[in-house]
Amino acid sequence: MKLPKKWLCDYVDFNVSDDEFIRRMMWRGFELASADPLLPDISGVITGRIERIERHPNATKLQVCTVNLGDRETCILTNATNVFEGAVVPVAVVGAVIRGTEYKVANLRGVDSYGMFCSGEELAISDADYPGAEVDGILILNPNTPIGIDIAVALDMDDVVFDFDLTPNRPDCNSIIGLAREAAAALGQAMKTPEIPHFSDDGDASSYAGVRIDAPDLCSRYCGRVMTDIKIEPSPRWMQKRLLSVGMRPINNIVDITNYVLVEYGHPMHAFDLACLKDGQIIVRRAAQGEKVSTLDGKTFTMDEDMLLIADPEKGVGIAGVMGGLNSEIAPSTRAVLFESAVFVGSNIRKTARRLHQVTDAAARFIKGVEPVNAYLALERAIQLVTELKAGKVVGETIDVCTADLNPRCANVDVSHINRILNTKLSASKMSELLKPLAIEAVPCGDKLALTIPHFRTDIESGIEADWDIAEEVGRCYGFDNIPAEPITGPAFLGSIPKVFRLEDRALDTLVSCGCMEMYNFNFIGPAELKALRLDEGDEKLLAVKILNPFGEDQSLMRTTLYPGMLESCRRNLNFKTGHGRFMELGNVHLDNNAVLPEERRMVGIAVFGDNESFFTLKGIVERLLLAFGVDNASFTAGGGRYFHPGRRAVIRVGDTYIGEMGQAHPDTLKDFDISVPVYMAELSFKALCKVEHVVRGFVPMPRFPVVQRDIAVTCRESVTSAELAEVIRNVKIGLIIENVELFDVYRGVGILPGFKSMAYSFTLRAEDHTLSDDEIKHAMDAVILSLSQSGAALRI
Amino acid sequence: METLDEIRRYAMRRLEAVYDEKELADLQAEVFGKSGKLTSILRTMGKLSKEERAKTGAEVNLTKQELEAALSDRREALRLKAQAARFIAEAVDVTEPGVQTVPMGHLHPMTQTYRTIRDALIGMGFTMFDGPEIELDENNFTLLNLPPDHPARDMQDTFYIDDNVLLRTHTSPCEIRALKTLKPPFRLIMPGRVFRVDEVDASHSPVFMQIEGFVVDRNINIANLKGTLDTFIHAVFGDDVNTRLRPSYFPFTEPSAELDMSCTICGGKGCRVCKGTGWIELLGCGITNPHELENCGLDPMEWSAFAFGVGVDRVTNLKYGITDIRHNYENDARFLGQF
Repeated sequence: MKLPKKWLCDYVDFNVSDDEFIRRMMWRGFELASADPLLPDISGVITGRIERIERHPNATKLQVCTVNLGDRETCILTNATNVFEGAVVPVAVVGAVIRGTEYKVANLRGVDSYGMFCSGEELAISDADYPGAEVDGILILNPNTPIGIDIAVALDMDDVVFDFDLTPNRPDCNSIIGLAREAAAALGQAMKTPEIPHFSDDGDASSYAGVRIDAPDLCSRYCGRVMTDIKIEPSPRWMQKRLLSVGMRPINNIVDITNYVLVEYGHPMHAFDLACLKDGQIIVRRAAQGEKVSTLDGKTFTMDEDMLLIADPEKGVGIAGVMGGLNSEIAPSTRAVLFESAVFVGSNIRKTARRLHQVTDAAARFIKGVEPVNAYLALERAIQLVTELKAGKVVGETIDVCTADLNPRCANVDVSHINRILNTKLSASKMSELLKPLAIEAVPCGDKLALTIPHFRTDIESGIEADWDIAEEVGRCYGFDNIPAEPITGPAFLGSIPKVFRLEDRALDTLVSCGCMEMYNFNFIGPAELKALRLDEGDEKLLAVKILNPFGEDQSLMRTTLYPGMLESCRRNLNFKTGHGRFMELGNVHLDNNAVLPEERRMVGIAVFGDNESFFTLKGIVERLLLAFGVDNASFTAGGGRYFHPGRRAVIRVGDTYIGEMGQAHPDTLKDFDISVPVYMAELSFKALCKVEHVVRGFVPMPRFPVVQRDIAVTCRESVTSAELAEVIRNVKIGLIIENVELFDVYRGVGILPGFKSMAYSFTLRAEDHTLSDDEIKHAMDAVILSLSQSGAALRI
Repeated sequence: METLDEIRRYAMRRLEAVYDEKELADLQAEVFGKSGKLTSILRTMGKLSKEERAKTGAEVNLTKQELEAALSDRREALRLKAQAARFIAEAVDVTEPGVQTVPMGHLHPMTQTYRTIRDALIGMGFTMFDGPEIELDENNFTLLNLPPDHPARDMQDTFYIDDNVLLRTHTSPCEIRALKTLKPPFRLIMPGRVFRVDEVDASHSPVFMQIEGFVVDRNINIANLKGTLDTFIHAVFGDDVNTRLRPSYFPFTEPSAELDMSCTICGGKGCRVCKGTGWIELLGCGITNPHELENCGLDPMEWSAFAFGVGVDRVTNLKYGITDIRHNYENDARFLGQF
């Protein structure tokens, strides 16, 4: 809400600095968005009178002017042709700064110029700000303008416009008087509330106009006022300037009055040309389905039955709360006017304005909330202005159709409860005193305050919430800063991180120890990215939740897997030529399972790329992660999604529990992500990891007798897996302990038949209770060789 | 036949000239060997009288010990010389880079901030609670005292899935879930991602992270809220920052406030980051609105609560001087590697 200081001063005495005012408003909950001078970025420009004009000795187009600046004379050169002796003009003297440019002494063809004259354009003002501002040449000021005064004063633009961000609970402050009320309280003074005289005459308004509300659920009050002898002309300059200072364009006296009252009282009004209303009759009703209305801005809207229409007996003449109709617009020929000041239900106006994409200034105020008492007061103020401006003559009394309860609301609040909320020890009378400047009447009554809530404070409830509402008011008047900080008292609480959150930390920390950087990708993906994963029909990753109002198609789905986001980020990193990357993400995916809420799954994603990376470096990371969760018996079986290389992918399980999958990304998938180097990626279910998590810490004695290490190399068909052979070695039954079975080499090539490979394992042998003899070792090795050969792996000779 | 003294002098002279282990071995054989000089003298001793034999034997032993010691010293000197030469040959350029067997991993700066905030609150007796990212309108708005068509709904532009389901716009719906499932009193930290229809720019992201703090107990007041927030702000930003609680409005709290922190960039003098005010708006908070408690079946005259919601992105960016929120979601290794 824009608050020009001069307008504010109609209601308060501004007795502090701007900064202090801003600070005090902040402590009352009014945050400043900006505070700008009305004539911004101009300093050192003053008024001067041209006393003499002489020709420049060396330049035909330049004139040498002797200028009276009040306390001194100076010499200024100009090439403008509209200056004359006796003209009062704006002078940017030496040292003046206009929008960052400083003016200095300039030597023009041998004569010094001590500054320059300004045009309206240079001051960034228009005819509306000052008549003649738009002429081609220097701005010629009114000859009565004092000399040597600041140009902002001369233009009557020496004002500051404060702009406050309002919170939605205070629609009453969306007005000059609302903010003035708070300002007066902040400045510690009583607000100057001018009496608005009630105007009326002997005429009978009902013989000119009538109002009927057919939809009282959507319109609780409709006040109308008939004015005749209307003389349409421009509004006076003071009114135009005030409208301009809050960013409104002056139109004519009647429209300007409604806009002025809108800003000052915060209540939207409308003026109809009475001659255009059939029989002067207004009917507030729901629109008929498909009914068309043309509005002031020349657009035509098709209404529906939920929308509220202002109509005469024949036609719609306005969309209630949104905009007036073109057919009853105030025109130069208008002779009689019906003013409307009504209360429409905000939620209905919100729906209409949104559906028609017409969130006008008026609609915005109805949406935020207006109230019936102010509707009447705003109309009274408008009539006062019409009368003062001699723009028309009031007829009879106010037409007032009202179903709203106009009685002030009362409430009782509990003083000690308010003190408990604020941790203060304020007496009932102190609270009453704090509330008084806000026009909240609070009569102490034992430990209670009997409240009369002013009509404009629609945010204060009279029911149970009143204690909290008033605590808020007392709190901000007393000052939150005056309430000291204190710890929570009472029994101590055991602070703890539940296990599932600790396991999140463990997963992330383990992956960091594997060299991974943590990604945060958006949850939004697009159909194209899902397509790039080449998913099988029926794959649950296709069950993406759709967003109704996404930014675009490419961000219209909630991710069902972390892969697209991670691949996209990998691509970006590859573009930066980082060369190598290890990344991880812990994040949620969502599946649309037709439940009330989609299924949310927490996933761990890993993606690696670069020269030294392979399926097995990724597998090493996955194994490390599993180990951190106490799992050393996970199975990796060939298989997985179609977004993987068919020969380099694995499904990871622990027992029967599916943990996830990993593999080298399919080149076609990578191509769709614009990636040309291999990327290895894994996605694991965090829930499954938590389920199989089983870390047992306990001491097992170290072997007391020596272990013997042996290596063995065998040849086998390609189809035989490393895991199978390792299992064979581990399971040889010879009464000795075989441990640490590890594959250390795989060889294909010279000496090995095509379709075969050589696998070299190392393992250790030991006994619990003695040192192994050579015979025992030989016997064991023979048994291992025999078992391997029975499994299709012959000793390599 | 050389005399013992001649042998001694010969050996000592030769020792000085010996320059490697082999020459030393040769000399050792020449003097002490089976056919060596000293051995030769011992062999002649059989012809001597008993007295002379004892005298000569003693003299030979003395010379032998002397020469052996000299030989041993010389051997050690040669070993040290050879080792010194080897050390020079083996010397490395210590300024060459170390070998990293595993690259350095990095937690995202927001995870680090989240943990800092969390750990400070855990120390104050908080525990953790969770809620879904896709929420019911009822939990995200209605039960938080934001019925349909409430004008304050416009404060948070919402992504909708359907009429009743949406992407949560804040972590506050976790309060509703906590109130409905847990028995008070409790103190909860509820972290998570939230979503708003905000076009991406330097200070807005449609996806961002919040931490909700929620305390329900019997006598919760504004002073408790201030005390709790001060403690955790100091844990994150250090003891030098000042805070202030400024009146504001949220439908789910009353009284409502915003917490400002003295600008970490200029220390409160006023700069571009704090728009010259010396203060930075950090989070929204307040005493929980009685309607919210009532909506969840708690008697607001018996139970009281405070809540706050802090943007992890905002805290992170202030803490580390990150000037653009977009960095947090672009996952540039050159960015992540800085934390």
